[in-house]
Amino acid sequence: MTTIRPRPRHVVCTSVVAIFCFFTGCSPLVSRFTARAVDQLREPIRPVIHRNATPLHSDVGCSILWVGHATVLIQIHDKIIITDPSFTKTVGLLAKRSVEPGLDPAAITRLNAILISHLHFDHFSYGSLDMLPKQATLFVPPGAGEYTPEFGFANTIEARTWETIEEDGLRITPVPVQHFGGRYGVDVLWGPSRPWTGYVIEYQSITVFFAGDTGYNPEFFKEIGQRFHIDVALLPIAPVEPRDFMKRVHTDPAEALQAFEDLGAKIMIPIHHDTFFQGLEPEVGYAKKLMQTLIEERGMQDRVKMLTIGEQIVLK
Amino acid sequence: MLPLTVFCALGTRLQEPIAIFSRFHDMNKSVNMPSISIWSHSRCPFLWLVLATVLLPWAALAQVGQRDSTSGFTSWLTFQAIPSMMVISHPGDIPFAFEWEATPLLYSFGMTRLVSPWYSFKVSQAARFTGSIELKATGQISTRKMGSSYFGSSAQLIGHIPLMERGEYLGLNVGVAKYAFADSSPWFKVVGVTTLFGFLEFNFKHSSDPQMWMGSIELRFF
Repeated sequence: MTTIRPRPRHVVCTSVVAIFCFFTGCSPLVSRFTARAVDQLREPIRPVIHRNATPLHSDVGCSILWVGHATVLIQIHDKIIITDPSFTKTVGLLAKRSVEPGLDPAAITRLNAILISHLHFDHFSYGSLDMLPKQATLFVPPGAGEYTPEFGFANTIEARTWETIEEDGLRITPVPVQHFGGRYGVDVLWGPSRPWTGYVIEYQSITVFFAGDTGYNPEFFKEIGQRFHIDVALLPIAPVEPRDFMKRVHTDPAEALQAFEDLGAKIMIPIHHDTFFQGLEPEVGYAKKLMQTLIEERGMQDRVKMLTIGEQIVLK
Repeated sequence: MLPLTVFCALGTRLQEPIAIFSRFHDMNKSVNMPSISIWSHSRCPFLWLVLATVLLPWAALAQVGQRDSTSGFTSWLTFQAIPSMMVISHPGDIPFAFEWEATPLLYSFGMTRLVSPWYSFKVSQAARFTGSIELKATGQISTRKMGSSYFGSSAQLIGHIPLMERGEYLGLNVGVAKYAFADSSPWFKVVGVTTLFGFLEFNFKHSSDPQMWMGSIELRFF
C-alpha cells in the first residue's frame, strides 16, 4: 500500500494563504472598517463649539447635556447621572474622536450614578471612568463584572433586566434592548451571553430612557413604553451603513423615530453620532442629515431636539 | 464593529514578526550562522500544525449567533490551541519554537469586588492586565532538536502591572521561569510588555548563562 504524503510546496502555499486570510480578517468589510479607523488616526480632533464649563445647576427640573457619542449628562433636580462616559482621545486604541468632548470631566463636581450600557470600547471607557468623581454608583450591564476593573466608586452594581435599584429616591431600571456582546471580538464566543442593557431613570416624576446602543425591536420598545411614562428618550441614530450589517444592532434615524413612537415618549434626543468615525458612512454627519430631513418632513421639530456636542437643554 | 476592527488589526500586526523571522533565515544562511528555519521540508508537521490552529478558530467564529455554554467553552478551548512564537538561544543553536500556555492559577488585584480575584485556566483578559500574579505552565515544540528532544516545558510566575488604560493599552510583565529543555533546567528572569488588550505579549527571558536567552511573541486568548 502506497502512502501519499502531501507535497511540501503545496503545504507551504496553503499555509501562506491561510495565514494571510487569518491575519487580514478574511472579510472585506472588516478590512474596510480597519482601513477607515487607521486613516482616521491621522486626522486632527476638531475643537468643540459649545464646551460647557458649568453643567450643574442649583434650580433645574431636568437638564440634558450631550457630551458626544453616547455620553449624556443628565440632571434631574439634585441628582446627576452620566451615561456611557467617553472623554479620551481614542477608544480601543484605534478609534479616534473626530471632535473634542463637549464637557471637561473636571466640571462634574458631583455625581450620583454612572450608567454603562454595554462592553464595547466606545461605551465602557476605562480611562474616562478614571476621570469621574468617586462618590457615584457605577451600573454595569449583566455579566460585565469580569470586564470591570476596580475604579474605586462608592458602589458597583451589575444590572439585571427589569430589577429596579433605588437610592435616595433615584430609581434606575435596566431594560432590554437589542445589541451584541463581547469587548475584544473573539470573546463574543465565550463571554457573558447578553452583556447589554438600556436604562430608565426616574426621579421626582421625571422619567428618562437611555437606550445605549440598540437595533430596532418593537416588542422591547412597546413594553418599555407600557411600563413607564417616558419624558425624554435618548436614542442612537448611527451608524447607518452598511445597513445589512448594522440593522440588527443599530437603529438608523427612521428606526429611531419609530422607536420613539413605540415608547410613547414626549421628547427625543438623538445620540451616538458625529463623534467617532462609525461604520462606512459616506460622509461625516450623514446620520444627522438624514435625521434632520426626517424631522422636517414629519414636522417633529418640537418633539425631537437635535443637540450639538456640548449643548445643554433645560426641559423643566 | 469595534471589536471586529481590533481583532483584524491584531492579525495585521502579526505579519511583521513573521517577516522578520524570514529575513533572519536568509541573513543567517549567507554568513553560515545557526539558522532559524521554519519552512524547510522536514518541518511539514509544523506547518500543518500552524494551518490547523489558524483555521480552527475561524470555524469557531462561525458559531456566533448560535452560541450556548457548550459551544462557548469549545470555542475558548479551540483558541487555546493557537501557539505563541519564540526563539530559544542555547549553546550552539537558535531554533524557532512554538509555545502553548495554560494558567492553573491567577490572582487578580485590579478587578471589581463583584467577582472573585482567583482564576483558573479560563482567565478574563481584564483580570490579567488590570494587575495580577500568574502561575503558568508552558510547553514548547522546537523546529530543531534541543539536546535530545524537540520538546521543552516550563513553570513561570509572572506579575502583570498595568501602565496605560488600566493595562488594556499597555502593561509591564516581570517574573521568573524555570525551563526544562536541551537536557538542562535553567532559571530565567522574565521581563516584557503586554499590549493590545492583553492579547499580545512581548517577553524577553535570560538566564545567568549569556548564551541562553529567549524572545517570545505570546498570544493570549483569555
